[in-house]
Amino acid sequence: MSPPLLEIDDLTVHFPSAAGPVRAVDGLSLSLERGQTLGVVGESGSGKTVTFLAAMRLLERSRPEIHGRILLDGVDVLTLPAREMREIRGPRIGMIFQDPLSALHPLLRVGDQIAETVRAHRDVGRRDAWAQSVAALAQVGIPNADERARQYPHQLSGGMRQRVMIAMALILEPDLLIADAPTTALDTTVEAQILGIIDDLRTRLGIGVVLVSHSLATVADVADTVAVMYAGRAVERGPCQAVFAHPSHPYTWGLLDTVPALGAERSRLVPIPGSPPSLIDPPPGCRFAPRCAYRFDACTRHLPELVERGGGHADACVLPVPGRGARRNRLEPPGEEAAA
Amino acid sequence: MIDGTRTRPLLEVQSLTKRFPLTRGVIFAHSRGAVHAVEDVTFTVARGRTLGIVGESGSGKSTTARMIARLIDPTSGTIAVDGTDITRLVGADLRTLRQQVQMVFQDAYGSLNPRQTAGQIVGAPLRVHHVPGDRRAHVAGLLERVGLNPEHAARYPHEFSGGQRQRIGIARALALSPTLMILDEPVSALDVSVQAHVLNLLTDLQDEHGITYVVISHDLGVIRHLADRVAVIYLGRIVELADAAAITAPRHPYTAALVSAAPAQPGTGTGTTRQRIVLTGDAPSAITLPTGCAFHARCPKARLISGDPHRVPERCRSERPPLGPDADGRQLACWYPLESGDDLIGAAQAMAIPVSGAQA
Ligand SMILES: Nc1ncnc2c1ncn2[C@@H]1O[C@H](COP(=O)(O)OP(=O)(O)OP(=O)(O)O)[C@@H](O)[C@H]1O
Ligand SMILES: Nc1ncnc2c1ncn2[C@@H]1O[C@H](COP(=O)(O)OP(=O)(O)OP(=O)(O)O)[C@@H](O)[C@H]1O
Ligand code: SF4
Ligand SMILES: [Mg+2]
Ligand SMILES: [Mg+2]
Repeated sequence: MSPPLLEIDDLTVHFPSAAGPVRAVDGLSLSLERGQTLGVVGESGSGKTVTFLAAMRLLERSRPEIHGRILLDGVDVLTLPAREMREIRGPRIGMIFQDPLSALHPLLRVGDQIAETVRAHRDVGRRDAWAQSVAALAQVGIPNADERARQYPHQLSGGMRQRVMIAMALILEPDLLIADAPTTALDTTVEAQILGIIDDLRTRLGIGVVLVSHSLATVADVADTVAVMYAGRAVERGPCQAVFAHPSHPYTWGLLDTVPALGAERSRLVPIPGSPPSLIDPPPGCRFAPRCAYRFDACTRHLPELVERGGGHADACVLPVPGRGARRNRLEPPGEEAAA
Repeated sequence: MIDGTRTRPLLEVQSLTKRFPLTRGVIFAHSRGAVHAVEDVTFTVARGRTLGIVGESGSGKSTTARMIARLIDPTSGTIAVDGTDITRLVGADLRTLRQQVQMVFQDAYGSLNPRQTAGQIVGAPLRVHHVPGDRRAHVAGLLERVGLNPEHAARYPHEFSGGQRQRIGIARALALSPTLMILDEPVSALDVSVQAHVLNLLTDLQDEHGITYVVISHDLGVIRHLADRVAVIYLGRIVELADAAAITAPRHPYTAALVSAAPAQPGTGTGTTRQRIVLTGDAPSAITLPTGCAFHARCPKARLISGDPHRVPERCRSERPPLGPDADGRQLACWYPLESGDDLIGAAQAMAIPVSGAQA
């Protein structure tokens, strides 16, 4: 059997800081098969971006301490020399970055930036690369692409910049596409179009897609499997259908219960009480315990590992499984104040 | 304060227009037409109320926001805040305005000085406007309100996650207790729980201090939650302006497409068999504006009227529909607004079949 397209094995990424190491990713394992989409959801600041920047080997500037393995087709990218990594970034792993402005050069025309990406990896002439670049911009729904290609990033709207980056990541048709919140600046109709393009690449070329998103609806729509992250770890993962229909970690319950619905009245939203933990000095045991309405003694004793509950659905929660049927009603406030 | 100013809308935008000239060539820059970013936009927002703005990517939402915050100048039109036209303010008056009107930027990354710590960034408005009191404590309080930890104050922007940077921008905008806040995609990088926390915070501040908001978001759930009224923009113009509650029953065909494309929420048990109006045809260009209704090339309703998936009524093609009230007082710019029973999905599907194509 061939190895999965992407396998992350017990990854930790700790950033040095004056107050002590920031444990941005702390024992994360994930995997993705070819032709599949892995949805990654979770808290803001839970390590989603850092995980995949580590896979792209783009964290070096911050001098983090990295342990574990990130295998692309069985090869650990963390051990590759920088020169080989340059060949992987782009044609093998493409990334749509969360912040378009951080990824685009402010002083180069966007068409040139895409054309340069093409020329860096393919043997094509200047003209040809420019034509491909314009076509790629048109494909992501930018009108007047030939004119827009001549503009600089600041002259485009937020959503256009985001689409420039999408075009840049897709143009090399990478084996693994990491889309880090790729549609945050796009209206629903354009978002549907972009997700359609990505899905087309997946089915046509069998590429693997990692979709990091805060939109549970979008993830539920397109992902085959889902990983839910909290404070640097996966707290739940499994087939998309199973995770959304039968979420089994209290953090996932909290997430699913807070979504402001389109049809809803202007009622007060019920966020998960408490605040995210410090990553420098995380709470003992389960990192979600201080905010969890269901916690009991065992929760704070040791850090729960992901445990498979059948059908590929796993969670990192020590609650006895039958007891979870008593999941609280979404509007009922937790019975006790969550201790900080 | 004169009595009348209380009832006067806090924000009045009149015929606002912005065109960016397109130039090519560095030394002999010659103009080659313009990007029509915002065209003749008019709306008001009452004190303590929220206007939501939605619309297609590139339709001029951020440009409108930046003009209201006086970050760029309009080509024409006026913007009155509290009865004063702000488009010509200078000196001390402009300084006062900058204190009253705060903006949260769509690109958090680009709006934060990379060489300042989060604490310095959030504290900067307090320093610039000489706000008395313990600045350190004030900043710590602001960071906490947006769900950041005290340990974050000493970090630089690149050491944060996308959603944390977005919240630094929100904390900075809140620092001076503004009367008007322009929020451009303020929660797009936040998970739903932190998002709920921030949305509650915004609602509380409005209830306590009567802040007026203009909120731009592509997330209709967020708009529905925050806004009293919603303006839908298409290619620089408002095409529908209605009470937020009415957004789920849109009358402009573009709004209908926007609403139908919103993905269904998991776990709510609704919308599992979602019917999406898929727009075919190229998005129109702000550089070469279409004639007639800007939406006509992609409009399924126009096809229902003509009875032919590949033809639109002459009127839609040649005459621009003006924005005007319908019977319910909702503002609309469409010759043939939706009626109940219109099968837009069917019409949109028919449009997707090529002219020579057989039955799908
Ligand atoms: N260079 C750095 N130095 C110190 N801490 C960092 C650095 N980069 C990221 N972090 C911290 O690591 C954690 C994980 O960040 P990451 O960007 O992966 O979050 P995320 O899950 O992508 O969140 P979001 O949904 O907000 O984008 C955050 O708490 C962040 O503050
Ligand atoms: N500084 C600029 N120079 C030239 N053109 C500009 C500039 N700023 C904006 N534009 C153009 O104005 C139009 C409207 O842009 P704007 O940023 O207002 O769109 P938006 O509605 O905010 O879109 P999005 O949802 O993608 O953020 C776009 O065509 C854009 O390219
Ligand atoms: S005016 Fe015509 S083309 Fe424009 S939205 Fe209405 S029906 Fe469609
Ligand atoms: Mg991120
Ligand atoms: Mg914008």
